[in-house]
Amino acid sequence: MSLGIMFKILRRHALMPALVLFQTALACAILCNVLFLVWQRVQPMVAPSGVAEDELVLIDQMASHVRPWTAAEVRAGELALSHVPGVRSASAALGLPMIGTTIVDYTLQSPHGAKVGVNGYFGVGLVHTLGVDLVAGRDFLPEEYRDFGVSEHSSSLPATSTAEPLIITQSLARQLFGNQPAVGKIVDVPDEPDGHGYMVVGVVRHLMRNQLTLATDGRADDTVLTAKRIGDTSMLSFAVRIDPAMREVALRGIRATIKSQFGDQLVQDFPVKISTYAERRHDALASARAALWLFAGVTLAVIVVTAIGIMGLTGFWVQRRTRHIGIQRALGARRSQVLRYFMLENLLVAGGGVVIGMALAYVANGMLMHYYELPHLPWNYLPIGGALVLLLGQLAVLGPAMRAAEVPPVVATRAV
Amino acid sequence: MFGYYVDLAFHSLRRNKVLTALMVLAIAVGIGASMTTLTVVHLLSGDPLPGRSQSIFYPQVDANPKNKDSSEPLDMLDYRSAVDLWTARRADRQALVVQSTVRLNSADAGKPAVMMPMLSATTDFFSMFNVPFRYGGPWSEQDDAARARVAVITDDLNQKLFAGENSVGRALRLRNSDVRIVGVLKPWRPSPQFYAVRGGRFAAGDTSDFYAKPEDVITPFFTGLDVNDGNFQQFTCWSMPPRPGHLQDSPCVWVALWVQLNDASRVASYRRFVADYAAQQQAMGRFTHAGNTRMRSLMEWLDFNGVLPSNVRLQAWLAVAFLAICLVNMVGLLLAKFLRRSGEIGLRRALGASRAAVFAQYMVESALIGFIGGVCGWLLTLAGLWFIRQQPVAYADMARLDVSMFLLTFLAAVGASLLAGALPAVRACRVMPAWQLKSL
Repeated sequence: MSLGIMFKILRRHALMPALVLFQTALACAILCNVLFLVWQRVQPMVAPSGVAEDELVLIDQMASHVRPWTAAEVRAGELALSHVPGVRSASAALGLPMIGTTIVDYTLQSPHGAKVGVNGYFGVGLVHTLGVDLVAGRDFLPEEYRDFGVSEHSSSLPATSTAEPLIITQSLARQLFGNQPAVGKIVDVPDEPDGHGYMVVGVVRHLMRNQLTLATDGRADDTVLTAKRIGDTSMLSFAVRIDPAMREVALRGIRATIKSQFGDQLVQDFPVKISTYAERRHDALASARAALWLFAGVTLAVIVVTAIGIMGLTGFWVQRRTRHIGIQRALGARRSQVLRYFMLENLLVAGGGVVIGMALAYVANGMLMHYYELPHLPWNYLPIGGALVLLLGQLAVLGPAMRAAEVPPVVATRAV
Repeated sequence: MFGYYVDLAFHSLRRNKVLTALMVLAIAVGIGASMTTLTVVHLLSGDPLPGRSQSIFYPQVDANPKNKDSSEPLDMLDYRSAVDLWTARRADRQALVVQSTVRLNSADAGKPAVMMPMLSATTDFFSMFNVPFRYGGPWSEQDDAARARVAVITDDLNQKLFAGENSVGRALRLRNSDVRIVGVLKPWRPSPQFYAVRGGRFAAGDTSDFYAKPEDVITPFFTGLDVNDGNFQQFTCWSMPPRPGHLQDSPCVWVALWVQLNDASRVASYRRFVADYAAQQQAMGRFTHAGNTRMRSLMEWLDFNGVLPSNVRLQAWLAVAFLAICLVNMVGLLLAKFLRRSGEIGLRRALGASRAAVFAQYMVESALIGFIGGVCGWLLTLAGLWFIRQQPVAYADMARLDVSMFLLTFLAAVGASLLAGALPAVRACRVMPAWQLKSL
């Protein structure tokens, strides 16, 4: 049967198709937005961390109750921790993966003017301690590290005569320099006007940032390592790389060392947090997980309700036209043709709904973005959501369409 | 007639149990989801001080040398500005407020000490914010001035430590000091914890911590500074504080000042006073700029901080959109259900039923579905709120259905199903009797 006749029939009994259309439009609008929100939450979960996850122990919330820790105390602690049995290396650090309470952020600017906001991690030997994979260039040299602390705050440092060394990720290298090799290039930090900028000395494969809310849309790897040694500081944290076979021994040793090295001065009221990377990751992603469950629930509910609606309406629509179907069958239409007719009709109606729905999704996102600081819905979510709703429509109409195909031709001869 | 229609409706609903169940389910799930989220919005977006909030204000001056007149002042006050403004006593009531975490030692030697949040405020805090007392009362202004070792505790803590007895006169050991309890509060749960709201614009919508419970221990402001010295957290600093945790003479903001101003002229004159104070400090060289003072009312301040968490708002939007889908769905299913009975309608019309009667009959049927859906939706709302209470969010304990939201649940369910039933009922009463009878 031609599409023209199909349209004519749909127009004549416009109410039922209009309801299906309206329903698919709403479902499509909601699903596009929910899919987008889901993806926003999933990205930080699936982004590669770049660190040796099994071997990493993170220590933070070390607050001193009398005065800031001195650089010497930090050094001694680092040394003592690296001699604990089962520990491969230890670094005092500022900013650690999966810990959002201490954040260092920079804006980097490439020579071409491309600006990228990044998180930075400070500390001696972090490339080794975190276990990141260096793919180009080199690690920092021991003499390149400069102290960073309360009394040697970076802004009050005498301006260096040369650019400071910097290690960036592959993703950053692409964003800043395109396809050119990044090692040896200079990047500016516009917020530090008197600095001489930073020179890229190394590139690592991946290193995830610790502002997890920003770890979306290809920004998860916007992280840099700078050659800074932790000087005197009031909040101290460490990254420790252990031998995973000796985890229990190492953890016990680390706890004892922290107590013996820093015990007298630690604020007793706030326990130091010593935990593995896996535990930190679990905590850091807890709220994203909760949100995912919610969105999964919403998606499921929307799908079920829409499917029920389409099935109910089409079922009735088929029942009303039982006699027409019988006539068609009597005039030689095959079962498969009847089936195809109803599937195609649903595709047409749902297709109209999806087009409206995609527009609606875009408008709704615009409003949400305006009032609730949501990110912009990329256009490629629209066809994904649309295709999902079309598929849903086809599955929902399958039952009623098969029932229609079962209508025997003899119906045409009865009670006309 | 109404009774007869209800009877008919029950009869019709029983005839196709699956379809009925689907419709009831659709309305119940839609109502359950939207009422759960709307209840949370309702609980979180109310006025924490009804009748009083319009006369409560939050003055701000800007001691930060790195700011300019064009910038927004920092969210809290530095110690000196706060104490200067408070000492001037130019408002009807004024309270300095600061929070810290303190170690509460147990009276029994056996039990370990616990860390708990402590509020330190001057005595006007209680009268200004209508804080209800069960036993005793607030401390006096002399206690404030003399840094008296006294405290007020909440009902919660009183239940925990003293089994709910009148504990006025008993002692608590806060860190290394003994304080005497002078008052015990009645249960008090402002929503949000408005006196501690700040920094909302930096929270990226994640503001659920504004709905935490009030602190269990409340001490006079200066007493708290003495007792818990070294444990105070800055809101922010423009350079490193010389002694972490001790912020009295630091380049940090960390104290809040709340004032009550009972009429418009008082408000205007206090606004002038704050501006004059800033100008005077600039003249003295302590401030680098004086033009950006602020004095927002309580509700303006809450609004400025965007206290309603953005994911709560988002959930409410999603739920309402979902209810819309459920309603469209119900329109379709009702239409299918009603028009299947065209023959029956034709018969009734032929026997003399007016269109209005047919319309009424089907609206009664819709309303019945709505009512059953409302009951199920109410149960689902209770389940949804239970689920929210299990979540690790600060407002979890408040997620309960109050009477108004309970009534709204049924109103919404019946209203929604009447809305959904209107179109199908109109179609049903337009059925041509003759045409239907012919085909019977």
